[in-house]
Amino acid sequence: MTRLVLTAIRVALGALFLWAAATKLPDLANFAQDVANYRVLPPMLVPYASAAVVGIEILSGLALVTGVAAKPAALLAAALLVAFIVFLAQALLRGIDLRCGCFGGDEPASWWTVARDFAMLAAAVVVARGSPHQQQGGHTLAA
Amino acid sequence: MARGRVPCSALSSLAMGVLARAALLCVAGTVLGIAGNRFTPRPAPLGAPVAASAEQPGAACENPGASVARISVEEAKPLCLACTAAFIDARSAPEYAAGHVTGALHLPPEGPVEALLPALRSAPAVIVYDRDRACSAANQVAARLQAYGLRDVRVLTGAWPEWLARGGPGESGACGLCAGDRP
Repeated sequence: MTRLVLTAIRVALGALFLWAAATKLPDLANFAQDVANYRVLPPMLVPYASAAVVGIEILSGLALVTGVAAKPAALLAAALLVAFIVFLAQALLRGIDLRCGCFGGDEPASWWTVARDFAMLAAAVVVARGSPHQQQGGHTLAA
Repeated sequence: MARGRVPCSALSSLAMGVLARAALLCVAGTVLGIAGNRFTPRPAPLGAPVAASAEQPGAACENPGASVARISVEEAKPLCLACTAAFIDARSAPEYAAGHVTGALHLPPEGPVEALLPALRSAPAVIVYDRDRACSAANQVAARLQAYGLRDVRVLTGAWPEWLARGGPGESGACGLCAGDRP
């Protein structure tokens, strides 16, 4: 994969994370309610987790867009996306009808949302692995 | 060691470094989010429990940011009995067939609206409900109906479970008028 394509994926992923955080920031109380509606976390933990998710989205988004600590940020983004996928899938499988909470607004959680998160996860994995040129000149595990 | 290759241990320490920095970024993001929470316009209530909407008595579907007006089961029941409002069920077809508000039409969020418009336009008000007290699907359908020019569209607070619990009239069977439900 060319460096240009990898950079484009990294910046796009970072921008998406920043956009996701920006849509939640005006109403974190509402986002906390969205998180609670997934019925996974204990109610006491919900507001802390909600605030933490937005903070992580901001930092990882900034890191991905600027390219500073991009690989750790991509790894963190991937971990966050796996958590989102698990939350969404369990809610859908349990028949819970709820707002996604992904980009603010009233977007309902659906399998389309899960597919979108999988696409973003793939992008995060690509960035986390980096191009062969970025892995110390294409080194392999062979000694 | 072949030229251009590094030992496994070197790569392993590289991976550990990335992992460590990812963990550090995670901690920093968590601190940023929790510390910055109180500076946001509507902060998350740290220290107070936040339960699912469906578990909050009397607060079902109450979303201050909702663009669609709400109507309670107590207010909606007389409108159903007097047939002065059209009811729309935004749940799935099997759920609708298993039981719905008497006379309700079936329209899930992605369902075709056109066939229902004449009936809806002749009703003084349209009341939309789904299965969950968060009313996500009902909100979507109500917003679509508003986009079609229907003025008095409301979302039923408490949704179908509350309707049942409060003895609202119901019936079962498929929706004959609904294009999406025809075989």
